[in-house]
Amino acid sequence: MSDPLLSIRGLVTQFDTADGTVRAVDGVSYDVYPGETVGVVGESGSGKSVTVMSVLGLIPQPPGRVAAGEVLLEGRDLLKLSDEDFRDVRGKDVAMIFQDPMTSLNPVLTVGSQIAEAIEVHRSHLSEDAIRERVIELLELVGVPNASDRFDQYPHEYSGGMRQRAMIAMAIANEPKILIADEPTTALDVTIQAQVLNVLKTAQDETNAGTILITHDLGVIAEMADRVVVMYGGRVVETGTVDEIFHSPKHPYTLGLLSSLPRPDADLERLEPIPGQPPSLINLPSGCAFHPRCRLGNDRERCRFETPERIDLDAGRSTACHFYEEMDAEIERVQRATGAEISTEDEDV
Amino acid sequence: MLNYALRRFLISIPIIVVATFLIFWAISLTGDPLQDLRQQPNMTTEQIERVRENRGLDDPFYVQYAVWVQQIPTGGFGEYMLSPRPIAPDLQRVVIHTLQLVIAAEVLAFIVAVALGTLSATRQYSVFDYSTTTLSFIGYSMPSFWFALILQVIVVQIFELTGVRLLPLANLSSPNPGTGLAFLWDRALHLVLPVLSLAIFSVASYSRYMRASMLEVVGSDYIRTARAKGLKEGTITRRHAMRNALIPTVTVAALSFGTLLSGAIVVETVFGLDGMGRYFIQMLGRRDPYPIMGWLVITSVVVLMFNLIADLVYGYLDPRIRYD
Repeated sequence: MSDPLLSIRGLVTQFDTADGTVRAVDGVSYDVYPGETVGVVGESGSGKSVTVMSVLGLIPQPPGRVAAGEVLLEGRDLLKLSDEDFRDVRGKDVAMIFQDPMTSLNPVLTVGSQIAEAIEVHRSHLSEDAIRERVIELLELVGVPNASDRFDQYPHEYSGGMRQRAMIAMAIANEPKILIADEPTTALDVTIQAQVLNVLKTAQDETNAGTILITHDLGVIAEMADRVVVMYGGRVVETGTVDEIFHSPKHPYTLGLLSSLPRPDADLERLEPIPGQPPSLINLPSGCAFHPRCRLGNDRERCRFETPERIDLDAGRSTACHFYEEMDAEIERVQRATGAEISTEDEDV
Repeated sequence: MLNYALRRFLISIPIIVVATFLIFWAISLTGDPLQDLRQQPNMTTEQIERVRENRGLDDPFYVQYAVWVQQIPTGGFGEYMLSPRPIAPDLQRVVIHTLQLVIAAEVLAFIVAVALGTLSATRQYSVFDYSTTTLSFIGYSMPSFWFALILQVIVVQIFELTGVRLLPLANLSSPNPGTGLAFLWDRALHLVLPVLSLAIFSVASYSRYMRASMLEVVGSDYIRTARAKGLKEGTITRRHAMRNALIPTVTVAALSFGTLLSGAIVVETVFGLDGMGRYFIQMLGRRDPYPIMGWLVITSVVVLMFNLIADLVYGYLDPRIRYD
């Protein structure tokens, strides 16, 4: 593999709260290569969004703080940049699509002017007409009909799906190297979700950007991602390709995610939910943060007291489980329990 | 939008009619308008009876009201009860004076409040924020007549210590104000203290609204989007945050215009300004319903006009609102 485009190394992001300091992101590392899509999955509060917000320097400070780590974009550490240089990266080299298109556009400015602004701030030499032309081109690319009329409309005149398309147009306006999509379809109707994902794919092809796709929807991951990063309690617990993650998970949490969701490809007779609640970040369990909910760990001493480090199994394949070698047996147990084939070699996920 | 403005104006007419009727009734309860006349030693009973008859004071108040309404289209606001002078020229004079005072105070208050509120919100919990919060509570709770007196005392003290006549303490103009620009400059200097006394309360209240709505706006998703585009903080505040935050503040400011008019009564009295407020107090003392009615009609029209302005500005700031 070539050099990664974006490399997150040991990122730690903390928030000061009334109940003490919370480590929302605790030593997260993953890479993004040119043109690929990295899916990041995990429950609410697992640190997926905070990680990318840190990458973009959008953590509100205070109360937040990036306490440690590096974010290398083509070898340059973004976290060491001056405010001004960082601002230059935002929206140009790294662009972001947010979760809720209903609230992410400014209601009092026209959609066109908001996209135009994203171009203007990084390419001040362009004339107003040239920018307008480019915006209309972008709106057409993301499938907004009558783009030149729609330019002058306000967000409330757009539907939810159209707004998310406009957000995508805004994000790719400067052909970013890294495109971050934070739950881009969560706030949308299921029928619109598929369309927006297609637009996202088009946009990505157009710019050849490395993409980070954050979602808790495994279906979206299966559809869009090349590689997957699974996060839990502010840490990365497993990485691998989509096939590896879906068919031979090496972390019991990943397996839990797979067995708790109905899947069109694996005919689950019964679902096996993950017991318990997502952990509170203020009071993370000792050792492996997942151990109170882990069937594989089964309250073993090592799980309770020793925090598992990431173990590299292969290039791009890693897990943070003390007992990952027992995962094959665990998968078989879950298959018996759910009556489904998880570990199929069926490539069509 | 013109259509909307016209419709709103027409709707205001019945409101004004009802308001004048109620006020006319209220004034008729306050006492005998001929009381002053009776106390004059050279007035005969016949003379007083003649005034009573001429003015229809024996009629029920609603008949008197109808008579008053009828003469508005032709006779303006009519004549004073006790002298055959027309009211309209006096009203015109005081209204112009008061509008100078009140509009200057409103504009000053709005600009200062928007600046203070924006800076407080973007520097939340800073020394600046805490200071403006404290000052605005003081400004909010301080009686304006007291503040006006304090301003006068300060100017006097400066004169006593340094011999500098910083600002005039009373009246609208110097004895010989001159003409043209010299007159305007003289007027402006005379209005400085009254405008400050009148604006302080509005600054305090509008800045709180501005701060609160700015805080709400700066936490919103579209501000994060703007940041993610790589915009400068200043641009984000001006272009994205302030315009949204102004929407509620403009409403409050325009709707508070009536409060300023009533505040002007106190301020004009303290500074001896020949304005609507002082005029109103004088006429109320005479229990003469006619100038008070004229005063009231003009005040209601001004207040309703500012409500309309509030709605129109609202629609300009917020494209989601359309008038049709």
